[in-house]
Amino acid sequence: MTTDELRAHAERHDQAPVHHKGPGPALSGWLDPRGRTLGGRSFALHRLTGLALVLYLYIHLGVLSMLLVGKSAWGSFLGTVTATGFLVLDVVLIFGLLFHGLNGIRVALVGSGIGVRHHRTMFWAATVVGTCVLIYAALHVLGAL
Amino acid sequence: MSALQTPERKLIDRELVGLRSRPHQYPGARSARAWRWTAGSGIALVVLATAHIVAQHFVVHGTGGLRTYQQVLDFVANPVLFVIECGFLFAVTIHAMLGLRSVLHDLVARPRTRRRIDKTLWVVGTLTVTYGLALLITLAIRA
Repeated sequence: MTTDELRAHAERHDQAPVHHKGPGPALSGWLDPRGRTLGGRSFALHRLTGLALVLYLYIHLGVLSMLLVGKSAWGSFLGTVTATGFLVLDVVLIFGLLFHGLNGIRVALVGSGIGVRHHRTMFWAATVVGTCVLIYAALHVLGAL
Repeated sequence: MSALQTPERKLIDRELVGLRSRPHQYPGARSARAWRWTAGSGIALVVLATAHIVAQHFVVHGTGGLRTYQQVLDFVANPVLFVIECGFLFAVTIHAMLGLRSVLHDLVARPRTRRRIDKTLWVVGTLTVTYGLALLITLAIRA
């Protein structure tokens, strides 16, 4: 066992308040960052961003229904969502998409047996790529570019 | 024969029918298939969601990069973009439903409840795709 693996093994026996209600960790278990390894924390954030994106999917479909109402309804909607507060929410959405997408690629690769030993490196590489894309996207959405 | 149809007997019969109809299926095959679909739709989404976001937010000039009513109609009226948007709708719904299934199955152990969750997600997913397609088709017709 490497030092990292030993530390991870020890962390797993920490006193995180996980209350089992089913075969996997309960919701309260994922949300508690104590005693989690990098993989555990990214798993929790992956699920949280996933749930937020599912919620957004339905909000998005609801909002797009305004197109059925007509040009004026869509025009007034655009007037509201181009306010800075809404554009900041767009940036938060892009963060969620980037994290979920890039971490999802890592999970799919590791789950398929590709790069299992380098999953931490992949995580940090994805973090660097994601941060660069997020900064560019934020500047673009907020009209600074 | 009807006297033998106790709930336990019915359960055994149903399991036997299931095994006979899917003799190649091993325990956990459904979860493995769900994982493959989740990963596959996820990889497809990386491409389709990127195309969707770039086309909707990064091509149009102006704050927020959002399209006007006429620009949206013109976008959807393009047959290639229409097909890409339909593919995106399918992929995102499949991925979302399988993701929800994974979360909910982790919280529930009872097989009957899990089957109900699966059925509910099938219905929700089908309704979502139907509504999304109806929306896209209506907008394409209006263009």
